[in-house]
Amino acid sequence: MAEPLIPVTALGGTAPKVQGFGPLTLSERPDVALASLAPLRAGQLPDLPLPGPKDLAEAGGLWSFRTTAEAWMILAEGRAEEDFAARIAALAPGCAVTEQTDGWAMIEVTGEAAALERLLEKLVNLDPALLAPGHAARTALHHMGCFVLRPGAGQLWLLGMRSSAGSLWHAVAQAVQFQVVTLAERAQD
Amino acid sequence: MTRLSGGLIDRSKVLSFTFDGVRYSGHPGDTLASALLANGVQLMGRSFKYHRPRGVVSSGSEEPNALVELRSGNRQEPNTRATVAELFDGLEARSQNYLGRLDRDLLAVNDLLSPFFAAGFYYKTFMWPKAFWEKLYEPAIRRAAGLGRVAEGADPDAYDKGFLHADLLVIGGGAAGLAAALTAGRAGAKVILADEDSRFGGRLLAESHLLDGAPATQWIEGVLAELCTMPNVRLLPRTTVFGVYDHGIYGAVERVADHLPTPGAGVRQTLWRITAKRAVLAAGATERHIPFADNDRPGILLGGALRAYANRWATAPGTDRPVAIFTCHDEGHRTALDLQARGVPVAAVIDSRNDAVAQGDYRLIAGGQVSGSQGRLGLRGISVTTASGTEAIACGALGVSGGWNPNVHLSSHHRGRPVWDDTLGAFVPGPGGPGGLLVAGAARGKGSTALALADGAEIARQALAELSITAPVIALPQAEDTAPNGTTLWHVPGKGRAWVDFQNDVTVKDIALAHKENMRPVEHLKRWTTLGMATDQGKTANVTALAVMAELTGKTIAETGTTIFRPPYTGVSLAVLGGGDTGPDFRPRRLTPTDVFAKSQGAAFVEVGQWMRAQYFPKPGETHWRQSVDREVIAVRRDVGLCDVTTLGKVDVQGADAGEFLNRLYSNMMGTLKVGMVRYGLMLREDGFAYDDGTCARLAAHHYVVTTTTANAGLVFRNMEFARQCLWPELDVQLISTTDAWAQIAVAGPKSRALLERIVDGFDLSNAAFPFMACAELTICGGLRARLFRISFSGEMAYEIAVPARYGNALMERLMQQGADLGVTPYGTEALAVLRIEKGHAAGAELNGQATAAMLGLGRMVSQKKDSIGAIMSRREGLAGETRRLVGLIPEDGQGAIPGGAHLFTEGAARNMETDQGWVTSTCHSPHLGHPIALGYLEGGDTRLDEVVIAANPLEGTETRVRVVSPHFIDPEGERLRG
Repeated sequence: MAEPLIPVTALGGTAPKVQGFGPLTLSERPDVALASLAPLRAGQLPDLPLPGPKDLAEAGGLWSFRTTAEAWMILAEGRAEEDFAARIAALAPGCAVTEQTDGWAMIEVTGEAAALERLLEKLVNLDPALLAPGHAARTALHHMGCFVLRPGAGQLWLLGMRSSAGSLWHAVAQAVQFQVVTLAERAQD
Repeated sequence: MTRLSGGLIDRSKVLSFTFDGVRYSGHPGDTLASALLANGVQLMGRSFKYHRPRGVVSSGSEEPNALVELRSGNRQEPNTRATVAELFDGLEARSQNYLGRLDRDLLAVNDLLSPFFAAGFYYKTFMWPKAFWEKLYEPAIRRAAGLGRVAEGADPDAYDKGFLHADLLVIGGGAAGLAAALTAGRAGAKVILADEDSRFGGRLLAESHLLDGAPATQWIEGVLAELCTMPNVRLLPRTTVFGVYDHGIYGAVERVADHLPTPGAGVRQTLWRITAKRAVLAAGATERHIPFADNDRPGILLGGALRAYANRWATAPGTDRPVAIFTCHDEGHRTALDLQARGVPVAAVIDSRNDAVAQGDYRLIAGGQVSGSQGRLGLRGISVTTASGTEAIACGALGVSGGWNPNVHLSSHHRGRPVWDDTLGAFVPGPGGPGGLLVAGAARGKGSTALALADGAEIARQALAELSITAPVIALPQAEDTAPNGTTLWHVPGKGRAWVDFQNDVTVKDIALAHKENMRPVEHLKRWTTLGMATDQGKTANVTALAVMAELTGKTIAETGTTIFRPPYTGVSLAVLGGGDTGPDFRPRRLTPTDVFAKSQGAAFVEVGQWMRAQYFPKPGETHWRQSVDREVIAVRRDVGLCDVTTLGKVDVQGADAGEFLNRLYSNMMGTLKVGMVRYGLMLREDGFAYDDGTCARLAAHHYVVTTTTANAGLVFRNMEFARQCLWPELDVQLISTTDAWAQIAVAGPKSRALLERIVDGFDLSNAAFPFMACAELTICGGLRARLFRISFSGEMAYEIAVPARYGNALMERLMQQGADLGVTPYGTEALAVLRIEKGHAAGAELNGQATAAMLGLGRMVSQKKDSIGAIMSRREGLAGETRRLVGLIPEDGQGAIPGGAHLFTEGAARNMETDQGWVTSTCHSPHLGHPIALGYLEGGDTRLDEVVIAANPLEGTETRVRVVSPHFIDPEGERLRG
């Protein structure tokens, strides 16, 4: 039996990158499994959380949000090493299910809600109300197409193309760093 | 030091700064201009054209004269206005635009030559000889007429951008803006209040008026304290809203750290894109000066600026002599009273109105006009002309008050044209400005404090009512409410030059000359004289100039009209417009899954779109890229090579109609493809030209994977999605990109099968079980899911193997390890290109958007049995008759390089467009053949094998005789790839 292959994260490490900046912490989340789901004519909508546009839903450990008029992305924390798409396909007969786990790199930002909202101002051109907890949006971030998900008040998930994970990390980390410095300077002012 | 009592400066702290190398001190709250005046410095620069000595004119962002260079080294920033540069400890400032010393500028000779530099001078003078312009005239003019100098190196500071959203954006934080923000804030609306100043209050900070019987700062502080407690209100001091863009989007620059020596690890400025449902423009007004002979001496300021310096910054210019006032309305008298209250002696108030009445204990010269001034580098005295004659008055400063121009700038950004208000004697915002932008306060002529406060509150209520938000009526403080009382005086006629536009050195005479030369419409006047075209956009000049033109033409000002303003309101640095990211972070980069491996091998990288791909993998001892590439190519032809081909686009296509969908998309038949097989496919554009090629694999009855070229991955996916949603919504098919999800590695060469056999989990790779163009889903390395395709770009027996992207790097390393004894070699994009040219496969250079399927030798791939995108258009006249064909080319002498892009000519034919026979698309050295080879399109190429033609490179004057051969330089029968 051959030795199994050892995966690397989107940022090229063997362990996920984690970095704290003042009130916020950035973490690479390679454990999150993703699969896209789009119903075909013969199929029916499966018994999964399938929210309307702009919403992020969760049930039974599966998160989902709508990506196009007739497709959803299903996420599960801690299941990236499974054949997640095959498991979802089994739950969704008659649906087009495609493995997306490594199509995306997820960067999680956690910390104070107010700091997260200040950060979002520097990242995406969206009214903060659209990114209240329980919301999801597809948008551009530093010239990269992204999904921005807000599972909780103090938690933000950014999904960008896996291949540009480094640029995404740079954009977010730099914005967080500037925020920390600027707030510190203002406090001294 | 010339410090008065009071003011809004913090005298408990002393800040040290230098101006032209001389050390001075000031206090927090000072601007560079106020600190210089307080140190007795009046001469701050030289004028643009004539190098006249100039001092500060205003106290705000409208400043035309006091332009300085700030900071040093790579932070040196030219043309900054001393009036808005906040003082900090260690600030370095220099005057600009002079040769030698500021007080003895050698270029002041221009002033003596001024009779020759009249309006339209450049247009009239430098017309001939034409060749002199670039080499002689322009450099000489630029040397003499520049402003500041930019830093030579890159800006070391960081900038960023951001996005804000609001119900109401309030532009300007003076009386009207504060009242508007408070009204909207109390209504619960989302409010952004932006002001270019470091401190909110606008003119309230500069005037001595009381609010509710107390200094205005008390009311301002109360309002700000309340606004700060409101979570729905965002205060943006030091933020200039510089432009109005479409759909309620406003551009703003926040000067986050311009008031600090350096931004440290933070940003210096932020570019905000503000999306506001409504905006209130409460930008106030700019005072007018009154041109008279020699009205540009340092020490001659706007009256309102004199009040601002005295009241806010506790200083006054030239106080070794008294101050004089020149006015045409009551405003000037207020200046006199404020100065006297601060202990500044007033020599006289010269009021052009015969019936003027003194409002205090000072000398009034009613019916008088200032007709001249004296003093070389600073004002020493003025000449005052009345009906009874001319009198000389000694003074160190003169405050000029000619009325106020509302700051209509932003309201004219969508071609909103200001309209003339005869009662006010000023242009006010007209109809047709930006939608959603309402104007309040002095910006629309409601200039008394009480009017501005009430108007700001009322306009905010109106704006919110449009959003169905009911705002309360807020209590406003008791404030001065004097109606404007005065007349207009556009200039004082007389001999000598009377300056209208200080920054571009335009005089009343220049306007008269423009009039004489028939440059009378305002737009012509502007361009002929360059009036209003300097960095200040003529904030203190435009209206005066067109009033002078109106006087000359005998028309009213309303008939004369006005030029309008465009963004930016004040200068915006390119660094902040760029949004911050520079160098390698200028745009996103995409890294391949085997990036870690490639870097560990010391690969050279090449940008392919956003991708960073390994170009070649140099080995120790290789000193030239060709050595590495040749070695890699030979390794593939002889043993086995590995190349990361993840960058090729991958699209997952599923559904009962997937086959039909692909039939319509590709020019050739796809629906008939058997499960477990791959087919090469060609896509045409709607106009019939070839645009992308790739492979299509059928993994299951209703499941295909399409691959595209790297360059077109996004475009093909977009077009596929458009076709699915809009062209054929009836088809049962779903698409999603999987380009990044799967790492894909080409395993190419005669030993590729032997290598793969070592990693697959019991999968039969024999020709019988897995022939050329087969595909399968399988597992490798003990259970990892993978996809295998037997396809070849190199012409060798080859496979592409895909695994989830996170395993791509490990797979590459495993293949390297397992294939060591087979001579396995990683290869990059250069070798990939050589291999495909040797095989005669088309790539981007051939698929250039002007090639038909027939030109590529793929004419038969456009199926006649079905319709597909571009099929019918490919048969149209002009395309169907295209006779150029892809051919191979080899140098006739066996050695000469064939330049890419060279054009092909028949031997002996002239070298011109008419005789052009085609061009060289791709060229390389073939290590396999040992000589240069090329691909190209040639007229009738398929019938001209063995003919010798000329590959001409007229740019370098070189020509190569080349022989036409088959584009398949190796294995034309395809035995290797089926091996």
